[in-house]
Amino acid sequence: MPRPFRRRSRQSDRAESECDLSPESGDHSHGPGSGSPRPDGGTVDERTAPSSGRLTGALDDRFGDDFVESLPFWLPAFLLMGLFVYGAIVWNFVISLTDYEGFRDASYSSLDFEMYSRALNDSGFIDAAQNTVVLLIAFTVLTLGIGLGLAILVDRNIRFENTFRTIYLLPMSLSFVVTAQFWLWLYNFDDGLLNQAVVLVGLDRVNWIGDPQVVLWAVILALMWQFSGYAMVVYLAGLRAIPQEHYEAARVDGASTLKMYWRVIIPQLKGATISAAVVLMVFALKAFDFLFSLVSGYRPPNGSDILATKMVREVYSGTPRWAYGSAIAMVLFAMALSIIGPYLVYQYRRGNL
Amino acid sequence: MSDRTSIRDTDGRLTRRRFVAASGTAATVGLAGCSGLFGGGTPLEVLHGWTGGDGARAAEALVEAFEEEFPDMDADFEAIGGGGNANLDAVVTNRLGDDDPPSSFANWPGKNLQKYSGALGNVNDVWEDNDFADAHVDEAVELHQTNGTYRAVPLGSHRLNNLFYNIEVVESAGVDPSGIDSVETLVDALETVATETDAVPFTHLLSSPWATIQLFGTMMIGQHGVSAYNDFIDGDPDEDAVTTTFQSMKTIMENYISDDASTIDLTESNQKIISGDAAFIHQGNWAAGAFRNADDFAYEEEWGATSFPGTEGIYELHFDSFLYPSDNPTESKSKDFLGFIGGTDAQIAFNQYKGSIPTRTDADMSEFGPYLQDVQEDFANAEARPRNLYHGLGVVADVRTTMEDVISGRFSGPFNANRAATGFVNAVSN
Repeated sequence: MPRPFRRRSRQSDRAESECDLSPESGDHSHGPGSGSPRPDGGTVDERTAPSSGRLTGALDDRFGDDFVESLPFWLPAFLLMGLFVYGAIVWNFVISLTDYEGFRDASYSSLDFEMYSRALNDSGFIDAAQNTVVLLIAFTVLTLGIGLGLAILVDRNIRFENTFRTIYLLPMSLSFVVTAQFWLWLYNFDDGLLNQAVVLVGLDRVNWIGDPQVVLWAVILALMWQFSGYAMVVYLAGLRAIPQEHYEAARVDGASTLKMYWRVIIPQLKGATISAAVVLMVFALKAFDFLFSLVSGYRPPNGSDILATKMVREVYSGTPRWAYGSAIAMVLFAMALSIIGPYLVYQYRRGNL
Repeated sequence: MSDRTSIRDTDGRLTRRRFVAASGTAATVGLAGCSGLFGGGTPLEVLHGWTGGDGARAAEALVEAFEEEFPDMDADFEAIGGGGNANLDAVVTNRLGDDDPPSSFANWPGKNLQKYSGALGNVNDVWEDNDFADAHVDEAVELHQTNGTYRAVPLGSHRLNNLFYNIEVVESAGVDPSGIDSVETLVDALETVATETDAVPFTHLLSSPWATIQLFGTMMIGQHGVSAYNDFIDGDPDEDAVTTTFQSMKTIMENYISDDASTIDLTESNQKIISGDAAFIHQGNWAAGAFRNADDFAYEEEWGATSFPGTEGIYELHFDSFLYPSDNPTESKSKDFLGFIGGTDAQIAFNQYKGSIPTRTDADMSEFGPYLQDVQEDFANAEARPRNLYHGLGVVADVRTTMEDVISGRFSGPFNANRAATGFVNAVSN
């Protein structure tokens, strides 16, 4: 494999980061709607072209150039997405307003927010929501921290750099099914590797999975192990995009290594941080797979229940409570939206969308 | 079929399920177009969860026997494994919810049938045509009906009140399992194992609550008798009896189970018996399948089995059955299949590999191993066959789910016997 990340070549491709995971690289969209003429030319002014009819002309005037001509390209995907993604979300919301449970037909005659008030009075729901938030924040912050640390170390022209990168990134390529079983063995009270280490440094064994105070952190640790490699790669791409001069200027000004990173380098990694954080948070919401594989079921160990497992359990482990499960799904959706929404606004303001 | 294809229901409203049913039917018609040309019709579609080990082998034997009896029937047996039965249950729930039922699916009968209320059809004719009521144990007759209508047919039965042990370990501890006849003597025996050997006295899994719920049911029978237990599952619990049962369990959980109980599953728990790292285990007799498949581990030489202390002469009942969905896509084929399931050929073919026993009283046991022959004898001669707690017969699915919440939250370490007892009493009393 060639070594595309060498710092020497960085100055030449300043904005053109190698890795598309960084938002810095998102700055070259030329969709039909972008409108702003590019300095590199090539934009043909279509307004001079005769419009083929009054209706299409009117539509083009209303919705912008090429509206009708571009229909075949975006309409099929638009309709499919509209039906199967947004239509399904809307439908799910409608179901959450009913009292639908069991296998009799749902009644859509009286719609109310009863399921949402039930959720607020359900201590299991509150616990699961708390755990979800703790998992989301702790996992994301810690993973970003470790990813940044690894990226800075790997970026310092070390030997076997590619090997290290691969080693750190490898866990991410594994399925949750594999990593859950793997960590279950690591967390075994008697002969798990972690407790062997704990005993070696003279501490008492920890009941990683069985202790409700500890288990959520055990899950977070396992997920961090899996995803800090991803954060590292995103940060590495961000670091490679910072010109060598910034390092040199900081050095000339007499900054220590610590100060240089803290004052000069890390502030420039904002874009990488945001995009990595969004992806990690969405992964955290999907920790369902990991928990499911950990116990082969919908009921995670006491103290680690999250909304995703609670939602599935409501529907599939007793009389199916479709409406209540849908309400929990909507809460989960709102949480995801509250993460993705600001990110999209941020990217839009920067002109990346 | 005609009512399923109408888009509007009796009120003339377009409902989601009607819509899904109609589009599902349209898709099925489209797909079935090709096979229809050859006159096959809709094939029989049976869903079950036996994907691994003894289960897969038993299912294979069942399919072979079925093909022998119905060589011309186009049949599709789908094994959906994973998560215990969680994945199978989820698939069945979705398909019943979408009005796209399979021909038949494996599940537990008894109170568990109420989970599917509104989605199960009537198989009275299957029971009558085949004289199943006379051929099967009385409990099967009662537990396969809701409101006087048959909904399912049994295939086999496991016994739940078993105490398995590793003979070498108990002998080196100087314990005689046949002398353990009460929960108190069990605790004494566990104490002896703990002091005399390095083995775990009683291996138990805490990684999910089902094993603890199952143990509670058996322990309550052992400690307070069948009638107190029946009162409990029928919604009239004696709180003291529930509490003392939990207290005994607490004694065992806190002192005699392995430290890694919360990270091991059933396979690993069984493995502790096989490898001699543990002395006793309480399980349904599917555990015997694991012992039988282990190398150099023979019944009554390396491992032994006895009734759980205090349940001598009692067979705590479990059924594996096939349920019949209403709006059945292949009505006559499904009923042929269920008639086959309740017959001797199917029950012998399946159960000898599954490690369970036929629910028919007239099945020939000569093909079964010595352990299952003993189980069959216990089954036939049992003075009582109480319905199990976790595996569907005793309580409805929602009560089971509440019990799982209670065990998970209050009795998976730390063990709070009083709060767990309150939770169980409230769960069944509702």
